[in-house]
Amino acid sequence: MAWILNILEEGLLGGIKSVFYIALIVLPLMITMEIGRELNLLEKIAEFCKPLTRWMGTSKESAFPLAVGLVFGLAYGAGVIIQSAKEGNLDKKSLILVSTFLVCCHAVIEDTFILMAIGANGALLLTVRLIAALILTYILSKYLK
Amino acid sequence: MVTIETVKRGAKNGINTVLELGKVIIPVYLFITILKYTVILELISKWFQPLMKIFGLPGEAAVVLVLGNLLNLYAGIGAIASLTLTAKQITIIAVMLSFSHSLPVETAVSKKVGVSVLAVVSTRIGLAAVSGIILNLVI
Repeated sequence: MAWILNILEEGLLGGIKSVFYIALIVLPLMITMEIGRELNLLEKIAEFCKPLTRWMGTSKESAFPLAVGLVFGLAYGAGVIIQSAKEGNLDKKSLILVSTFLVCCHAVIEDTFILMAIGANGALLLTVRLIAALILTYILSKYLK
Repeated sequence: MVTIETVKRGAKNGINTVLELGKVIIPVYLFITILKYTVILELISKWFQPLMKIFGLPGEAAVVLVLGNLLNLYAGIGAIASLTLTAKQITIIAVMLSFSHSLPVETAVSKKVGVSVLAVVSTRIGLAAVSGIILNLVI
């Protein structure tokens, strides 16, 4: 019977330890992100995304959904995309291109830090994701013309 | 304005995320640890070895990709933590997972936006496979 307890102990302790290491990163990160939200950093990131939208061939209005998806994830990004499309701020081509970009690359801050916590090379991870999403969206934008 | 309330809200978000993570990572870690003591993980490892070799990964890493894609990124992370992988292998599988994860849930999200499900799923799996192959060769 003792060996069953040993396996359970190894599994539970190992799992708790992994979560603990991730918590050490996620807690300060979430506080920083909340401060960033308060300082309207999202607007600034959207401003930064504007050249990106030109390059992708999407409307200027797509910068905000792009920034939201990049920072907070696909579900939030999709929410803003649907909202913008309803308000008529987003044409069909922009909608498809922004969705394509975000499907490949979203929640980059949180995901990158969490994957770094378990030992991944964060800089490489982020670079590969961004470049792949950019290339794919660029190709699609030519094809959609 | 940044006040103590801002920090409190951030901490609350952080605690919620950690709880969400824990609910998935701890059971997955335990599950794979138990599998390690059975013949099952060895069999999975043997079956998937030829496929996973393309990405420079051991056969048992197939469990990470399956859990990450069917459940979510956190399940994949729990599985990575429970296996013994090198730094290079962790980076490769992290990139693959970041392109392709939580397929059932996230595909539902893209469907809501109005993008083709088949296109989304094949693009994501394709990106994961191509990035895995390339990273194995260059790092």
